[in-house]
This record gives sequence, C-alpha cells and structure tokens, in this order.
Amino acid sequence: MNNLDQLLTINDLHTGFRIKDTYYDAVDGVSLTLRRNEILAVVGESGCGKSTLATSIIGLYDHNKTRVQGEILYNGENLALLKEDKLNDVRGEEIGMIFQDPLSALNPLMRIGEQIEEGLVYHTKMSKQERNTRVLELLKQVGIPNPDRIAKQFPHQLSGGMRQRVIIAIAISCKPNIIIADEPTTALDVTIQAQILDLLKELQNETGAGIVLITHDLGVVAETADRVVVMYAGQIIEEAPVDELFANPRHPYTRSLLNSIPQMNSENEKLQVIQGMVPSLVKLPRVGCRFADRIPWIPAEAHEENPTLHEVSPGHLVRCTCWQHFHFESEKGGNPL
Amino acid sequence: MKNTEAIEASKEMKVSSPPTGFQVIAREFMKDKLAMFSLISLIVVIGSIYIWAWQIDQTQLMRISLRDKLAEPGEKFWLGADKGGRDILGQLVVGARNSLTIAISVTLLTGFIGVVIGLVTGYFGGWIDNIFMRIIDFFITIPSLMIIIVFVTIVPKYNILIFILIMSVFLWVGTARVIRSKALSESRRDYINASKTLGTGNFVIIFKEMMPNLSSLLIVEMTLNFAGNVGLETGLSFLGFGLPPSTPSLGTLVSYATDPFIMENAWWNWLPAALLILLLMLAINYVGQAIRRSADARQRLG
Repeated sequence: MNNLDQLLTINDLHTGFRIKDTYYDAVDGVSLTLRRNEILAVVGESGCGKSTLATSIIGLYDHNKTRVQGEILYNGENLALLKEDKLNDVRGEEIGMIFQDPLSALNPLMRIGEQIEEGLVYHTKMSKQERNTRVLELLKQVGIPNPDRIAKQFPHQLSGGMRQRVIIAIAISCKPNIIIADEPTTALDVTIQAQILDLLKELQNETGAGIVLITHDLGVVAETADRVVVMYAGQIIEEAPVDELFANPRHPYTRSLLNSIPQMNSENEKLQVIQGMVPSLVKLPRVGCRFADRIPWIPAEAHEENPTLHEVSPGHLVRCTCWQHFHFESEKGGNPL
Repeated sequence: MKNTEAIEASKEMKVSSPPTGFQVIAREFMKDKLAMFSLISLIVVIGSIYIWAWQIDQTQLMRISLRDKLAEPGEKFWLGADKGGRDILGQLVVGARNSLTIAISVTLLTGFIGVVIGLVTGYFGGWIDNIFMRIIDFFITIPSLMIIIVFVTIVPKYNILIFILIMSVFLWVGTARVIRSKALSESRRDYINASKTLGTGNFVIIFKEMMPNLSSLLIVEMTLNFAGNVGLETGLSFLGFGLPPSTPSLGTLVSYATDPFIMENAWWNWLPAALLILLLMLAINYVGQAIRRSADARQRLG
C-alpha cells in the first residue's frame, strides 16, 4: 500500500460538545485512514461517537457548541480548519453523505429530480439538458424503474427503499471520492437492507470511491466491509480487516458484541448482554481502560494505566492489554495474570 | 396525434397522488360554504371598489358644496351627502380603496420583512438570533399605537406612503417571531443537513428549501394580519390620526358618528362605512380560518 491509496487520513481527532461551558470530547483521539476502493466500517453501540465522527469529517456540526481539534486530511488539506464556503466546495463534490432516515433527509416539497440535480448545479458546469440526462442516468444506476416518472414525483410518493436509493443517487451525483454512510440501512426492512448494501458495493466497484460505513449492525459489517474499526466511548478500541476481526476478535468489547448476537444454532434461550451502559459524556472517566467498568470480574491489574493501541498481528490493532486476560463472566479461565 | 396525447394524459391521471397544497385549500373551501361565500364576496367587493374608485376624481369629490349639506339619500346622491355636501357613496368607494391599499401594502411589507428576518434568525441561531430577538422584544414592549399616533402628529406632511411606512415599522415583529420559531425547528431537520452535505449555500437553503416548507404558515399569518391591518388603519383614522382629512378613508367616514347630531339624524353618513368594515373583517377572518384549517390536517373539514 502506498500513500496514493490513502484518501482520507484522520489524525488524533477530538470533537467535543459544550455542556455548561466545558467541552466534553465525544470523539476522543481517533486516528484512522480510508483507502481508495475500500469499505471501512465503524461499529459501536449508541452514543460511542460514530455519528459524531461522521459529522466532524463533513463539518456538519453546530459551530457554536462544538469544538473540533486534530487533523482530517484530504488531498493535503485539513478539513477541520476549512471555512464554511471552502468546505462547501468539498461537500458534495469530493465527499458525499448518505443519511439514516431517507424520509427526513429529502425535502418534502421538492421533486426527486430537482433534489438530485442540486449538487450538479453547484459543482459542475452542465447545462440544464445535460443535468436532466445525468439525473435519469443516476436514477437508473441506483436501480429505480421508470426514472423519468420518479424524477417528477415527491418524496412521500416513494417507498422507503426507493427513497434510500434516491439518497444514494444524490450522494454519488458528483462522483465523490469519499462516501460517508451514516447507518444507511437502519430505517429499512431486512430484504431492502440487503439490496441497498449490494447497491453500495456495486457502486463502489464502479467508481472506486472509499466508503465509511457507520453502523451498529455486525451483520451488515460482515457482509460488506473490508476493514472494521470498533469504537467505544469515543475511542477506537480495535481495528482489523473484516475476516480477521470476526475470526479473532481480541478486545473484550468486540468479543462481547459478537457474543451478544443471537446464534441460529444456539440452544441458549437467554441472549448474552453486556452489563451496564455506555457512560455519559460528562461522567466518562478519562483515565484507564474505558471498558473496565463493564467487565468488573476482570481484575484491575489486567488493564493498562494509559491504554494505547497495540498491533497484535499485521493490520490488527487492539487498545489496552486487558484482552489477554479476558474471559466471559459465565466461563472460567482466561490467562491468569 | 390528439388521441395519443389524451391517452398520455389519462395515464398521468391514474398515478394517484395525494392532494397538493392548493387542492387541499380548494377542498376546504368547497366544504365550508361560509368561507366560500366570504371569499367570493371579498373578491367581488374588492374588485369593484378598485375599478370604481379608479373612475372617481378625488378633488372633484372632496369639493365642498353647502347647498347639499346633509342631503338625504336620493336621486342626486344615492347615499346622501355629509356636512360639507360631499357625496357619501363616492367617499365610501375611495375611502375603502385607500383603506384596503394601506392594509394590503402594510401586510405585504411587514410580511416580507418579518419572513426574511424570521427565517435568517431561525436558521443561523446563535448571536444573530440573540440580537434580533432583543430588538423584537424591544418593539413588543413599547406601546406601538401610541408611538404611531405621536409619529403622525410630528411628521409635517404625510400621505398614504408615509402612513404605510410608519405602520410597518411596528408591525413586522409579530410575523418575524412566528416565522423564526418555525424556522428554528425546521432548520434542524435532516433534509437541511442533507442539502448542506451537497455544498448548498446557506441563503439558497433558507429561501429555496426552507421557505416553501413554511408556506402554509405564511399564508395563514398574512391573511389574519390583513384583517388586523384593516382594523388598525380604520381605527387610527377614526381617532383622527390616520390619513389627512382631504383623503377619505373608512375610518374618517365612521368618525362622522362622533357628532351626536349626525349620529341621530343622518345615519347615511356613517352606517354604510361601518357595515362595509364589518363585512370585510368578517369575510377576511372566515377565509383566514378556512386556510388555517387546511394547513392543519387535524382540523380540516374537507
């Protein structure tokens, strides 16, 4: 892998929200790279900072209440420092975004065609005629039948799956190099989910874009991602190629997550759950292993004092040392200290 | 050729689509007979007033002729004459034209200012919002009617235009507040964010994407403001702080009733104007309420 392959590099990103005059970091020192032609999945529970990471990249946060520090390098430019109007040149043209809820992400009073056209108006010099052709082409590309009829309809006249396809068409309209998909399948039913994921993969094969896929659905990850980043409480706690992660999960959190998926052949009637909840931003202890509270049966000595990422095998990074001594509460064992 | 077009058209029709904004409003009016009647009479009255007043010469009309002092309704003056022997019917038509012009202009002007300020403050929030909200608070706390009266007495030579401007200065705040509160919630919706991720500029988002989504609220707000402004203008003229005496208005006609002699013995001086005001206000309010109902799905009749 050479440097040319790196589309987006994030170095030590801190995104903090202001609560009563103090900034609390929801994304706390995240570093990652996105390569060309790659689907990078970001996984984690609700409230672990996945969506904050996405909005930081594209600058979609409330500037009055949010502080972004660190580097988000794209094409040698730090997106975190760009002014709004400069950022507008990047948005849409270089980075496209796919939203979670396809209904609320479409303007209820604009025709589908106009909404897809919008990005083309700002970022290309196409004539009205060319734009119309491109809109129909895009609709066809995302698998919508009767594109010329759909282009004249309003969002409420389409089904959920069709709307999400339209959102995808909007995101790819200017052929961006990076697509950020923030839980693109959460609002859809399972059969549609599979279709949308296939579509995403297909488009990626055609365009060679890098996709950041934010999700909490491990099934989606296994099916589509190339590389996986697991986040917990604002930090990356494990990063690995997808096969490696599912074959050899290391961090206790990753293992607990995988363990909590219901198995089809399992005879256990009770689902495995992870104790406790993701700590709130304000109460989050900023020292030690952040997952320690939720695995109290693991002795404190197993954790590092200042957990860092360790490379356990090529491309596989794990934070903290506690994974070496981890075992589930129900089982005996784990490596003794 | 024509045949295929017809087939195409019928195909289009078959794609069932929920009613659009104007269809909903039309259906509401079909259902509510009173509102329909109000709407039609409003259109007829306003239309005929403007056409008629256009043909009347105002200086000729306002010329005093003492021979016709307080003439009763009859052949020469259909609605009689006032103390100065001036035709009441002519004054009624021209006065209604003036009052309506003022009310319409004030409504449009305050609507425009209020919508722009409301949308911008609601969308950007932060310090812009804070500054404008404090200004609006200031305007709301001062007694605007008093200040308008003071202004009218201070300004040496005023005409319809200046009167419109003086009224507008104080009346945009209500619209701005209503629009701002809705814009505040609308601007946090996902489709606004989605548009931002496409690189759409702020002002394009505000006026091309957000404003159409507030249009129902806008129409309601403007209609009800219109009724209010007719009332405010006639009220001020009645008190003698509206238009100058040489310019008839509905308010000045009604104010003839402040003279007890005219009140008792010359009903034709003040009654027609009072009835016209009543009709206009009721009709505008019924129309406004029908539009408001159609903007809120839970209250619709149609």
